Amino acid sequence: MKFAFWSTLLMLCLVAALGASCNRASYGAHDKSKIRVGIVFDIGGKDDRSFNASAWAGVSCAETGKWPDGTDCGKPALNIVARDIEPGNPTSIEPAMRAFAERGYDLIIGVGFAQTPIMELVAKDYPNIRFAIVDGDSALPNVALLKFKEHEGSYLVGMLAAKANKTGTIGFLGGMDIGLIHRFGTGYEEGARAVKPDIRVIKNYVGVTDAAWNNPGKGKELALAQISKGADVIFTAAGNSGLGAFDAVEQAGKVDGRATHLVIGVDANQNMVKPGFVLTSMLKRVDNSVYSIIEDVVNGRFQAGLHVYGLDKDGVAYAMDEHNKPLITPEMLQQVEEARKKIMSGEIKVTDAMDKK
Amino acid sequence: MSELFSVALFWSTIRLSTPLILAALGGMFSERAGVINIALEGMMLAGAFTAAAVTHAVGNPFVGLAAGMAAGALIAAIHAVACISYKADQVVTGTAINILMIGMPAFLSGAFFLSSGSTPQLPKEDLIPWTPIVIAFALVPIAWYVLYKTPFGLRLRSVGENPEAADAAGVSVARMKYAGVLLSGALAGIGGAYLSIGQSSLFTRNMTSGRGFIALAALIFGKWRPVQTLLACLLFGFTEAVSIQMQGVVKLPSGEDIPVQFIQMVPYLLTIIVLAGFIGSSRPPQALGIPYQKER
Repeated sequence: MKFAFWSTLLMLCLVAALGASCNRASYGAHDKSKIRVGIVFDIGGKDDRSFNASAWAGVSCAETGKWPDGTDCGKPALNIVARDIEPGNPTSIEPAMRAFAERGYDLIIGVGFAQTPIMELVAKDYPNIRFAIVDGDSALPNVALLKFKEHEGSYLVGMLAAKANKTGTIGFLGGMDIGLIHRFGTGYEEGARAVKPDIRVIKNYVGVTDAAWNNPGKGKELALAQISKGADVIFTAAGNSGLGAFDAVEQAGKVDGRATHLVIGVDANQNMVKPGFVLTSMLKRVDNSVYSIIEDVVNGRFQAGLHVYGLDKDGVAYAMDEHNKPLITPEMLQQVEEARKKIMSGEIKVTDAMDKK
Repeated sequence: MSELFSVALFWSTIRLSTPLILAALGGMFSERAGVINIALEGMMLAGAFTAAAVTHAVGNPFVGLAAGMAAGALIAAIHAVACISYKADQVVTGTAINILMIGMPAFLSGAFFLSSGSTPQLPKEDLIPWTPIVIAFALVPIAWYVLYKTPFGLRLRSVGENPEAADAAGVSVARMKYAGVLLSGALAGIGGAYLSIGQSSLFTRNMTSGRGFIALAALIFGKWRPVQTLLACLLFGFTEAVSIQMQGVVKLPSGEDIPVQFIQMVPYLLTIIVLAGFIGSSRPPQALGIPYQKER
């Protein structure tokens, strides 16, 4: 019995060590001459090749001047030390944030709307520490809100989807059924209708809990269901679950060397995930927003409150690279570029699904 | 409605049921031997991660599948040692394994792929979308035969029902329990491998999303019997497939979309209705969850 007790205890310790902190470095960053930045990722984790990966890219760029894969990010390295935590489950977010705050970090970044209430609690307890939340809302004087006009970027990829569409039906695969994700879906639909007014848009969501971001199996089933209903372009906004849609279009195969069904990636540039099957990616440049908030802290210009990144500040965009060049004709590109300018000038107004209520 | 019931729905049901069938049959061997196995989820995660990692390294999905199976069995061995040899609480050990397996793949993927919880994506040629399905459905009659028509099956069941009597009859209780638990790990491992190298093309953290627990529910629902368990898994798979096909297609008479939350309730609602209405009482193996202490 004694052994059983100790072995269980040992196991729980192991679990605590593994589950709470999957980062390779320790929390403590002792070099006081540098600005210390702590980032707490969303449940998806920094390798979701999407939203969190983009936030991680911003931090990496600010710390080293390089993207996580080692290539130059085109911006100077700032004088910072960065530490990151990937919470294994929602309950470990708060201790992670408090661990940074307790050690007197200069800036703590929370990734994802789900961390908003937790950050509010922690930020109230540490009024002298600066916080930034991606996609969240807060009125606290020490919290910066990094927000994006996802609807504008989604409008543009919706146009591309409609241009590439042949069947008259396109799909949208969202992660959770929440306002933020509706913003992607609504913008996408409006963009598609601007090109083809009678196009049918099938909108599906993976789930209603945060497990919805990590279920590629179900993502694939939903994508296959959309394909069986005639959708030939699918826009994903579902974190890791969205990768299932990539598998689904690949499974649908190619005819004459061209993919019959295409997928549109989200947040980070996902064009290289399945080259030839990815029409484009709706870039949500979390990396830019994270970099610039770190830069603000370094230069002593940190401002709490709203920081909105739209098409204008390179906050959202559509991805063009060598992987999707064969899929997008100059005519498509030209039309989308025109729309981009019109949105920036205010001539086209894209509905923001989160404004409705 | 015609869009709803189609060939696509059939295959979707098969695909969604497969991991459940494998894990539930695994759970059956363990629980029939008297060891509660709520660690199915963790064993599936072990299988899913190992299968994807090994397939990536070797380039052969069948080797990956075998490795996933072995990984499931390895995790099951931890459960077996703790619960059988050291008579630890089976629910506590199972929970610990589940939590351990949330962290372990993240930790290992950091070491192997400089990632934090996912493996690199596998090319389509390295996937085996059909093999695990065939295995799952072939296993049902095999499991039935083994459980009811072989001496091994008889001993396994006797150990789960009345270990004292089995012991008196000369059956090694501990050895039978070990066999049951290890088998459950191997099968759950295949179930997990299907998720990562059959249905999807990579491992992502926590990708089982509760399927291990659903499999356990199917096992109880199926009264710890192979064919009934298969039917229960098919029902769960079918209801989920329906909810997937329904989303965004079936509309209210007013023309508005049915809320997603409601559609995603459907599988659970159906389950409750079926459970309450048609199944009757489900009796677990008599000695389930009780560590066996040999009399001196």
